[in-house]
Amino acid sequence: MVNLTIDDKQVTVAKDATIFDAAKAAGIRIPILCHDKKLHPFGGCRMCLVEVEQMKGRLIPACTTPVTEGMIVRTTTDEIMTARKLVLELLLLKHPLDCPVCDAAGDCDLQNLTYEYKVNANKFTDEKFRWDIDYENPLIERDQNRCIHCGKCSRICDEIVAFGAYSFVNRGIEAKISTPFDEKLDCEYCGSCISVCPVGALIAKPFKFKARWWALNKVKSVCSYCGTGCQLTLGVKDNKVLTTVYDEDQGFHNGQLCSRGRFGYQFINSDKRLTTPLIKKNGTLVPASWEEAIDLVVSRLSEAKKSDPSSVAALVTPRLTNEELYLFRKLFKDVIGTDSIDHSAGYAHKALTEGLKESFGITASPSLIEDIQKTDLLLVLKSDAYETHPVIGFEINLAVKRQGVDLRILSDKSGKLTRLPDAKKYIHKPGSEILLVNAIAKSILDQNLADPAAQSLPGFDALKSALAAVSIEQISAAAGVPVEAITRLATDYAKAGKALILLPIGLGYPGHGSELTSALANLAILTGKLNKEGCGILILGEKNNSQGAADLAIHPTAGGRDAGAILEGCTSGAVKVLYIAGENPVVSYPDKAKSVKALESGAFVVVQDLFLTETAQMADVVLPVKSFAEKCGTFTSVGRNVQQIRKAISAVGQSRSDREITAELISKLSGAACGGSSAEIFTEIAASTPGYSSLSTDSLGDNGVIYPVVITPKLVPVVGVVPETEEGKFALLIGSSLYHCGTMSRYGEGPMLVCGESYLELGRTDAGKLGVSEGDTIKLKSAAGELNLKVKVGTRMPEGVVFVPYHFETSAINSVTAGNPVTWVTLSR
Amino acid sequence: MSENAAIKILICQGTGGVSMGAKEVEAEFLRVIAEKGVDATVGKRCDVIKTGCRGLCANDVLVDIITEEQGRVTYDFVLPEEVENIVDEHIVNKTTLEKRKAKPYYNTFVDQQMRIVMTGCGQINPESLDAYLAEDGFKAVEQCVKQMTPASVIDEMKKSGLRGRGGGGFPTGMKWSFCAATPGKLKYVICNADEGDPGAFMDRSILEGDPYCIIEGMMIAGYAIGATYGYVYVRAEYPLAIERLQMAIDVCYEKGYLGKNVMGFGFDFDLRIKKGAGAFVCGEETALMASIEGERGMPRPRPPFPAVKGLWGKPTNINNVETFANVRHIILKGAEWYASLGTETTKGTKIFAVTGKVKHTGLVEVPAGMTVRDVIYSVCGGIANNRKFKAVQAGGPSGGCIPADILDTPVDYDSLIKAGAMMGSGGLVVMDETTCMVDVARFFLNFTRDESCGKCVPCRIGLKAMLDILERITEGRGEMTDIDTLLEMGTTIKKASLCGLGQTAPNPILSTIKYFRHEYEAHITDKRCPSNCCKELLLWQVIPEKCVKCGACLKACPVDAIKWEKGQIAELVKEKCTKCKSCYDACRFMAIE
Ligand SMILES: Cc1cc2nc3c(=O)[nH]c(=O)nc-3n(C[C@H](O)[C@H](O)[C@H](O)COP(=O)(O)O)c2cc1C
Ligand code: SF4
Ligand code: SF4
Ligand code: SF4
Ligand code: FES
Repeated sequence: MVNLTIDDKQVTVAKDATIFDAAKAAGIRIPILCHDKKLHPFGGCRMCLVEVEQMKGRLIPACTTPVTEGMIVRTTTDEIMTARKLVLELLLLKHPLDCPVCDAAGDCDLQNLTYEYKVNANKFTDEKFRWDIDYENPLIERDQNRCIHCGKCSRICDEIVAFGAYSFVNRGIEAKISTPFDEKLDCEYCGSCISVCPVGALIAKPFKFKARWWALNKVKSVCSYCGTGCQLTLGVKDNKVLTTVYDEDQGFHNGQLCSRGRFGYQFINSDKRLTTPLIKKNGTLVPASWEEAIDLVVSRLSEAKKSDPSSVAALVTPRLTNEELYLFRKLFKDVIGTDSIDHSAGYAHKALTEGLKESFGITASPSLIEDIQKTDLLLVLKSDAYETHPVIGFEINLAVKRQGVDLRILSDKSGKLTRLPDAKKYIHKPGSEILLVNAIAKSILDQNLADPAAQSLPGFDALKSALAAVSIEQISAAAGVPVEAITRLATDYAKAGKALILLPIGLGYPGHGSELTSALANLAILTGKLNKEGCGILILGEKNNSQGAADLAIHPTAGGRDAGAILEGCTSGAVKVLYIAGENPVVSYPDKAKSVKALESGAFVVVQDLFLTETAQMADVVLPVKSFAEKCGTFTSVGRNVQQIRKAISAVGQSRSDREITAELISKLSGAACGGSSAEIFTEIAASTPGYSSLSTDSLGDNGVIYPVVITPKLVPVVGVVPETEEGKFALLIGSSLYHCGTMSRYGEGPMLVCGESYLELGRTDAGKLGVSEGDTIKLKSAAGELNLKVKVGTRMPEGVVFVPYHFETSAINSVTAGNPVTWVTLSR
Repeated sequence: MSENAAIKILICQGTGGVSMGAKEVEAEFLRVIAEKGVDATVGKRCDVIKTGCRGLCANDVLVDIITEEQGRVTYDFVLPEEVENIVDEHIVNKTTLEKRKAKPYYNTFVDQQMRIVMTGCGQINPESLDAYLAEDGFKAVEQCVKQMTPASVIDEMKKSGLRGRGGGGFPTGMKWSFCAATPGKLKYVICNADEGDPGAFMDRSILEGDPYCIIEGMMIAGYAIGATYGYVYVRAEYPLAIERLQMAIDVCYEKGYLGKNVMGFGFDFDLRIKKGAGAFVCGEETALMASIEGERGMPRPRPPFPAVKGLWGKPTNINNVETFANVRHIILKGAEWYASLGTETTKGTKIFAVTGKVKHTGLVEVPAGMTVRDVIYSVCGGIANNRKFKAVQAGGPSGGCIPADILDTPVDYDSLIKAGAMMGSGGLVVMDETTCMVDVARFFLNFTRDESCGKCVPCRIGLKAMLDILERITEGRGEMTDIDTLLEMGTTIKKASLCGLGQTAPNPILSTIKYFRHEYEAHITDKRCPSNCCKELLLWQVIPEKCVKCGACLKACPVDAIKWEKGQIAELVKEKCTKCKSCYDACRFMAIE
């Protein structure tokens, strides 16, 4: 700790603090324009100048200067004021005073400081800049005339986003922030740059002219897209969510969001939202009253319950709150008595619900997001971890760029992560993950690098004998990764002081199931990389509450039907009532035909959703529900963080929350009143859910609480199968696009502006061979069906491998896939 | 034919020499000597040796011939066609060509200097390791490694009092000790050869004339601070310096003077050249390191200082070329000897690049503490064209002006700062009565504001705002309040800017206002430029009393706007005049206003 004096106040701060930090700790505000706690010190604007007794003769930037023992700092002398005023006057000399039409007005650091420093005249005159404004890109309006050169946009895009869209060009007064060749911005549209821009040089186009900043009501919540659990602040006016508002103090991510989190909020007030219940009459869905709809649903459920409870089945999306999931489980498992409840096609949660369960005895990751920056070696399965969880991707960027973490990526294609400085990639043939992980385990044993303590753990002998049959050479040949690379990776992983494994899961990754998870867990257990900071394994659940769904057991636990069997049951007639809450099997489950057939089979289908989805269109009853912005509750995100969402607007149309609907169904079916607020239900959850016992809504606060787990490691031998290859065909991989998450993001204007339709991505060589180029249409054919897709040519795909995102209903890729990790397809022009 | 007795023909082949045809002159010497069999004729070997620059580039091609009988004789402005005659007369007939000899001022120019750093320049063949070894090359590093600990090397540097020649004047020994004190396995030594000051070329001359001494200086620094990797950051506009240095580095690697276990001393030192992109600000140490890292050359905040967190975040020591060139002499001759030269606070010598309205421009190395007057008058022969001295701008584009009444200011770091100027890299621009001081300030400010990296507000916008005001004044649109505004702004910009560029850029304005305020006032109140220099304020007429009827202006005018006949006072026809100022510059009698 260091002691110093600021404006006669004694302050004691950590020795790596800057004068700015120290002043802040002492409650003294020093004005800043270019400083951002997330970024490397810059020192460009000179607004934060102070005087330091020991450094006479110059004015000292508070934001970059570290404190030293005994420092005497003054923050408001005449000289300082003169300098700060000069800085503002100079900035205003070039900055256009178009505040009346600037979206940043009210939230503009320059405007606020000008006001505070009473700069109401300028002794200089000069012309304003006349740079062209970039109106062309879909989401970010860039007006460099307003830019004050704080460099934050370029720094954040470089340091945290690792995209590097901007750089300073030119010198002197002509210096400016530019994109490569000064072209329109073409980036990943995370909007981080907008969030840190202190003025209106970068603004979110979807929010332009929507509302003045001060007119917005700001409500803290949690993003409802992926499992990362980014906190966000919704900007609300007239009962509409008009934007997300940046708050640098939110969450582990300091308020940074990805493209869909920042720009994907428009689904909330989309005019496509369902506003009344619908009942199918004479083959068409027509509006109905809640009473009528609920009565119908209750009667069908109670009928089925009476005749055969197992003829009722439910598919419930992990986008719902814990409270809602809890009630759903109660409704189906306790009140109706069916165990046929599932989600995510039945496979996308198995890494948690089966893999981790087997290997660690719990259904949650032993590791946390914060371990990413604390580890020494990060082993990531699939470069897509960035696309599925972009803000966790930022953490990986920071780990690599700031902490020097050794990044290893085992993947069937390249991607953003593989391009990080010094990242080592191991590109393997599609479908050979388990083989490779087994080979690494074998090599660890062969090299005697296993932790001695692991030998006494259950399963050690079984694993050892199973691996004895494994040949690294054969795997090397089958997976296309050199033996040396495999053994080297094994050595480095085992010898790293700390090592962490990341595995993204989701509907797009059928191969990332329980076996792969156990195979990976074996590595961590074998080498003792567990129960320590920066160690272990972190499963990246796909949806905002994937972890909650695992915690609350929204999957069959006593022999009920899983998602696949439920759909088959509908077709066979065994399932009479299918209740679907928020899932969209017609688009997001593999084997579209299977889902369609099930829905057409004659089972009574109830769908609860925000939108009249492809699945809802086939339902007998459709119930409109509230979005996350219209309700309270909790989500449990990657790394077991239980966080609160808060109601920002009142219900859209007549929609009710899933909680309200489920509670009513429970009351009506059981005869016992079921009600209670979210908080009360959460108390019930805490009482009955492993790990949650110490939690209450009050204790969650703004940042949520990470619930504790105790693991009982077990080594689980898994068998990898040599992937079959089909001569002359392409390996089709599906997965997530960076701008989408599930199928919900299709109702967000932002994601659709950047990526509005499906595509097929392939490498240059293959494109050359097929004679196609960017934008062409290509025909894709599999055993299951065929499809036309737009071609995207890139550098990510190895030869013979193609990629299609799974989010879209038009050119739906699930019409050619059947849920296998790899689908073999032929391509033709 | 003993080596000692060989005749030496030294041909200056710095950038200046080469551009004046030194290569051709050399070829001609070689041809003539070979064809005529001169060696046999005179019974001695004639060695034609290319050397580095010796400072008086204006007189290139300079050729020194050293024979036993005639000693060292310098010929200047040598052309290839004269070579044969020189060989015949001087070498074969042993008669010095008195008429072709460099004039006495050449010797004054050389003799008045004290050459330590530049001893090798102009004397030895920069492309020959053997020539360097013959001058005790690599003896200093050997002495360090074999007889001294790293700490005692640093002590020696501290005792010598050597201060950085890159401009800041930071004590070199102290800088090394900081870097040595930072723990770290990987450290870097950087030689700053960006030399961005227009007009300065001492660093280039050293690299071209004595590249091995830089390598040795850096090795010693590496040994002292525990660095095993070095970079020389040379501006890309210095192809010859890069070529010679690269050649030297290659030879060193080949002969084991660089690389692993150098010279068998058990320490490693690798060295590499990094070509600079040519921005002035890239000479600033943190910007330079950013540039080596492949980033835009933009200064970074200090602290952390390079010694703690420099290149790629590693402890780094960065010194200027001239600083490194001093090192081996200090080790070989001892810190005490070095400390005995110069003044209390500035030890040793300093090289100045003298330009402007002085008779002999060029590089001069003088002991620190010589007065500005002596540099200008004794060494460089005084003001050209018999005009009156007005001021000298010391310290490059962001230095300050020293007026006539303090010409006895000694050239050392502190005296120059006290006078409102600075040592900088050692630029001295001499100005005579025809120079307008407001225009001078405008000129330098225009340079610095163009070169501002654009990172910090005071420098990026402030310099432009100041320039606007100066332009207004030189165009006769100034107001009296402008002077105070300039003073206030200049003072604030100096205190508030991020790097040395902004922190010094207002100097030319502040010092010209300090010493030549009346010139500013004349521009503002009388709308006149006292030096008749600011175009907008010229009357464009001939002053009859001053005109000596020589007609020089007539010849100079490109558009026939001068009427003159023999014996007549010239007349300027305003309608035709394009205000190019050719006549004004041509008139040696200041008769045009
Ligand atoms: C704008 C600017 C330009 C500079 N250019 C040079 C340069 O061209 N060469 C140089 O040696 N130092 C230059 N410096 C000084 C360096 O930052 C640094 O102080 C110097 O290289 C340290 O070496 P020394 O201690 O040997 O002087 C410059 C500084 C500034 C602020
Ligand atoms: S939106 Fe994100 S990726 Fe695009 S420029 Fe801004 S920070 Fe970079
Ligand atoms: S665009 Fe905004 S964030 Fe980027 S440098 Fe300009 S003012 Fe700063
Ligand atoms: S989609 Fe995921 S990563 Fe993006 S903001 Fe939302 S929670 Fe964060
Ligand atoms: S906030 Fe410190 S220099 Fe900009």
